[in-house]
Amino acid sequence: MTTETMTDQRTVTLEVFRYHPDTDSEPSFQSYEVPYREEWVVLDALNWLKDEVDGTLSYRWSCRMGVCGSCGTMVNGYPRLTCNAFLREFLPGPIRVEPLRGFPVERDMVTVLDDFMEKLTDVKPYIIREEEQSLDEGEYRQSPSQLADYKQFSMCINCTLCYAACPVYEHEDDFLGPAVLALAQRYNLDSRDQGNEQRQQLIWADEGIWDCTFVGECSEVCPKDVDPAAAIQQAKVDATNNFFISFLPFTPPGMGR
Amino acid sequence: MPGPLPRAKSNVWWNRGWPYRVFLLRELSAVAVAVYIVLLLVLVSQVREGRGAFNDHLDLLESPLFWIIHAVILGFAQLHTSTWFRAVPKSMRVKLGGRVVPPEAMIFGMYALWVGASLVVLAAFLVEW
Repeated sequence: MTTETMTDQRTVTLEVFRYHPDTDSEPSFQSYEVPYREEWVVLDALNWLKDEVDGTLSYRWSCRMGVCGSCGTMVNGYPRLTCNAFLREFLPGPIRVEPLRGFPVERDMVTVLDDFMEKLTDVKPYIIREEEQSLDEGEYRQSPSQLADYKQFSMCINCTLCYAACPVYEHEDDFLGPAVLALAQRYNLDSRDQGNEQRQQLIWADEGIWDCTFVGECSEVCPKDVDPAAAIQQAKVDATNNFFISFLPFTPPGMGR
Repeated sequence: MPGPLPRAKSNVWWNRGWPYRVFLLRELSAVAVAVYIVLLLVLVSQVREGRGAFNDHLDLLESPLFWIIHAVILGFAQLHTSTWFRAVPKSMRVKLGGRVVPPEAMIFGMYALWVGASLVVLAAFLVEW
């Protein structure tokens, strides 16, 4: 830390969303002055507030390095991980911090993620084998090209920023949403996986890929550069191909698995 | 005890920023394209009504109102085309010789086709006159 930042007396205003389920009938915003540090992210400011000013402030965080996906929050109306949203991006302030849009709020910035977790479980985001290969046969091998088919979708950290950016998820209670569909596609594209048919019924339904209107903001807000919009549109093409192929008396080479 | 706050739903989600507004305009542009198809069908139907009716219809199309309508439709058609060109690489992952075609190359190819087709139409128009 340089001498200049150590002696920096500047502050920045944080407007924090407050809601306590036991006492509040509606949410409110509370303003706090927090020290400004060049190297601080919004999460540092929230931690300072909780430690020094108001211990009742509630929010999720864990790794502080953009990996765990816990600290997703609306920062000035945009879904961000507070651990990689620097205060300096929002100068001169104020910085408005709210819970992720589209989810019920448990308390302050803590959202209820039950709906997301249930939908994630429903699409079976893991490798499914019709018959397991014996250990003697070694590992399931994969070429670099086969890995490239799904790799970027596998970078998802379940931070749900894409859900906060999606107006369809906000309005359609049954919509599976971007991350769940991207993860389903991630396993469907994996050459080791044989679970396509088990996932199809759910992801090819209206509340799966067809509810998506392709706004595309899910991909823009993703902190890991995953492209859920692409996963969903590619799944739509797969489903459409499958529909037409089903009328043929044979399966054309390279189509279907 | 109030409990958790239910999820909020906003009817003005489209006003949250330019990406959402552009999305809405992109979807709306399909309406403009449909209106143009109707105008074209009406024009064709006037041919059946005879030369007089067709010329009257052409006069109508040259009125300031229809110039404005056509200019608006042209703007929407440009938006429709450019936004969907940008969307195509997301929908299709094309492999050529084992390599994935970069999105920029796909978009460039579609623009090249668009310009080429426009030149063919323009040439046909100029030859006719």
